[in-house]
Amino acid sequence: MPPMLRVAPLLLLLSACSTPVQAPIAPAIVAVVSGNNQTGPVNSALAASLTIRVVDDFGEPVVGRRVRWNPVLGGGTVSPGENVTDANGRASAVFTLGANPGANSARATVDNANPEIIFSATATGVVVNPTPQLVASIAIPATYGHHDTFVRDGIAFVCAWNAGVYIYDVGNGIRNGQPHDPRLIANYVTQANGVSGGAQVHNAWWFHNPTNGQKKYLFIGQEGPGTVGSASSGDIHIVDVSNLAAPVEVGYINVGGAGTHNFWMDEARQILYAAYYNGGVVAIDVSGTLSGNMSSRIVAQVKPGGTPGTYVWGVMLAGGRLYASDMISGLWVLDPVTLATLGGGNNVPTQYVSDLWVAGTTAYTGGWGTRAGTRGNSIRIWDVTTATPVQLGEMAIPDATTVSDVAVVPGGAALVATAEGGAGAGLYVYSLANPRAPVLRGSVAVTGGLHTGEVAVINGRTYVFVAKNPGSGNTPEFRVYDITGALTP
Amino acid sequence: MTVHPGAWALAVLLGGSATALPAQSRFFARPMAQAIVSATSMDPTPYGGRLTEVRVVQPVLMGQAGLANGRLLGTLTLNLESLTIPDGELTLGAWGEGYVDRRHPHTTVHELLLEAPDLFGTRERGGRIGLVAGKGFVPFGTDDPMSRPFLRYPVNHHLSQILERAVLITQLERGPVLLEGALFNGDEPERASQWPLLRLPDGTARFGDSRALRLTVRPVSDLELQASIAAVKSPEHRLAAGGNVDKWSTSARWHDQPEWGERYLLAEWARTDELDGYFRFETILVEGALRRERWSASYRIESTDRPEEDRLQDPFRSLRPHHENSILGTGCWTLHTVRITHDLADPAGPLSVIPFAEVTMGSVRKTGGGIFDPTALYGRTSLNQVSIGVQMGWGMRHHRMGRYGTSHSRPEHSHVAH
Repeated sequence: MPPMLRVAPLLLLLSACSTPVQAPIAPAIVAVVSGNNQTGPVNSALAASLTIRVVDDFGEPVVGRRVRWNPVLGGGTVSPGENVTDANGRASAVFTLGANPGANSARATVDNANPEIIFSATATGVVVNPTPQLVASIAIPATYGHHDTFVRDGIAFVCAWNAGVYIYDVGNGIRNGQPHDPRLIANYVTQANGVSGGAQVHNAWWFHNPTNGQKKYLFIGQEGPGTVGSASSGDIHIVDVSNLAAPVEVGYINVGGAGTHNFWMDEARQILYAAYYNGGVVAIDVSGTLSGNMSSRIVAQVKPGGTPGTYVWGVMLAGGRLYASDMISGLWVLDPVTLATLGGGNNVPTQYVSDLWVAGTTAYTGGWGTRAGTRGNSIRIWDVTTATPVQLGEMAIPDATTVSDVAVVPGGAALVATAEGGAGAGLYVYSLANPRAPVLRGSVAVTGGLHTGEVAVINGRTYVFVAKNPGSGNTPEFRVYDITGALTP
Repeated sequence: MTVHPGAWALAVLLGGSATALPAQSRFFARPMAQAIVSATSMDPTPYGGRLTEVRVVQPVLMGQAGLANGRLLGTLTLNLESLTIPDGELTLGAWGEGYVDRRHPHTTVHELLLEAPDLFGTRERGGRIGLVAGKGFVPFGTDDPMSRPFLRYPVNHHLSQILERAVLITQLERGPVLLEGALFNGDEPERASQWPLLRLPDGTARFGDSRALRLTVRPVSDLELQASIAAVKSPEHRLAAGGNVDKWSTSARWHDQPEWGERYLLAEWARTDELDGYFRFETILVEGALRRERWSASYRIESTDRPEEDRLQDPFRSLRPHHENSILGTGCWTLHTVRITHDLADPAGPLSVIPFAEVTMGSVRKTGGGIFDPTALYGRTSLNQVSIGVQMGWGMRHHRMGRYGTSHSRPEHSHVAH
């Protein structure tokens, strides 16, 4: 019998009434078409949609019948929450499993139809890939390549030696950039200031001044020629980046007889700390307007290892103390106001020390080069509960000569290190489930090695912005690795 | 008489019997082949003790040819060290091209030059203009050590010679005075198979970014005085991003061949300034040799500054290209080398079989600041090296490597040189 003939008595009845009434919904039968008993990772959508079919007593498809979809077990979601059957009597929804492994289920309910359908599914644990994933790679002019990166507010400042600083949007939005798709905003080459070798842009810090809300100044470190252990050269260049697309150098800072290396800031106090190799550690007042020769703003300087005996690589402010890694004399603890030494020093006699990072009461330092036959291919772990660092252990990176950078990710879940020299050169990520006993979670070898790695969290994922070294037939690159997988326990 | 150029080239490549003719002929060819089998023991080595190696070094096929009564010359030197010593040759104090305490293997096509020593045929009128183009040595400093009496290269090789470049040399000779000017590419090779870089990826010319000027005076027939300067752009960074170098050299050289044998004496001073003089390296070297019939004895003393760089995992290698402009310090190497040889073949003949013994003794000390510590690196500051071996050759003797065109056409058949 044609459908129209089947409903004709009902239509006749409706037309006889003077008052409109809701038409009763004819009973129908619901059946599962597909999507039942699937398995998938937690927090993920099942591969196949949940699909039902609604037919009438005669097996004909029921069109336009409302279907409601609801999760039952496992805490997942079903989308859409409601729809209607199509011309074939079918309706479908996507089932995203809950956060925990185990049984999940979802229900499809059809108006005036039976039975109620329950779809079952099983959620499995996520297979985590702890290997850092390369998501972006940009060639850098071979002017000694890319040395360091500073990332803040989704902006990456790529310090590329005599090619200057490259400013990329890596998630800020002003150029629609993302970590996997960095978009260039500007390139700027600072002055040589009479230093042999040119601009030699090495590192940067974008100063966010909390006292006036300005994000005006970018401090750039110039790494001029030096003799490791005794001499260095290069100024701090002050660049106005009020307009990121049009940077302008406005001033500089010179420390006689020494050259700068890595920075840290106490932004609340408007103090820039600079490692200054044989010049030790220098504290600079960067409040107010900065213009011209700002060398008179130096408020404190210390050579913790003495003269000679000092060659400071890096500084970091943490927990109200200033920490300094001296290539020659080891890890120091300084007063952040006076720069007076509070403790430490002369504690790594067998290795040249490179970078440092402090997280809570634990510090990490890298090694550099070769000292009396001992390679710098290790990370030392320190207890800095007191002002006298106590070494707790040492982790080697095989087949490398230098651990060129160390950093702890925001939240403290992992330690990131870059290594150079030998087949072991590359990027390493260690779990800090126990901060004093890091465990390697993932690594990636990089031919030629990585000079530095800067960690930043963007859109909920954790990235390392690295400087890939140049080499014979090896292009220097600004690279971005996603290490989120390595942070999952 | 003429010889087909193809036949000559084939003969040279095969080390075979090309016809050698006097320079006065319309065409002449002088092939040569050489190899040195050497057992060398060096003590100490970086972070290690004595190391002994047996290697075939300086395997060379060489040829010179002339056309038009010597108005047009060609020089080809094929060096096969990339096959025999890819990791370099143990050599006290040696450095350069990323090798340290080992001399680097030379590029396979070591010299390939066309030379017009008398471009306008004006020699008979007391002066001449020469032109040289190709790959080879820049007219700066002294002769390449390969064409001097010793097996062992001196520490100052990269202070006193500029090698393996694409070079265009103009020469002006008037009486005993020779002035040479050259344009060349600044980059030194990174590996044996590499050719000089003529143009950077952005199209900028690499050839011609460096210059040299050399003045040579011969006040008497066997004495040669030389002074030269050079400005080299980024020699240690092929893509021209490294520091520039300024070089100076002066030397006096005596060489004669009395009836009883041969006498040779060289004294040189050279200086290299890197990065506008931020780094300065100097060398003084004196060497001499005496040959009496088949026996020869040689002695060399040198005092040379060496930039000390961080080593890679292989302690005989340093990073190229550099990542920054820093060094660990400067070592001053003072080395004495003595060599005794005996030619088993007739010195007047084309064949040479020359057993030799060569001993180098000396010391290294730190000059200036920095973390370079020779005692930490070598265990002590006194060092020595002993080599014994046999040098085998056929054909002409070495030409003076680094002397082309107008200089080149004054042949010297030295037997104290290799």
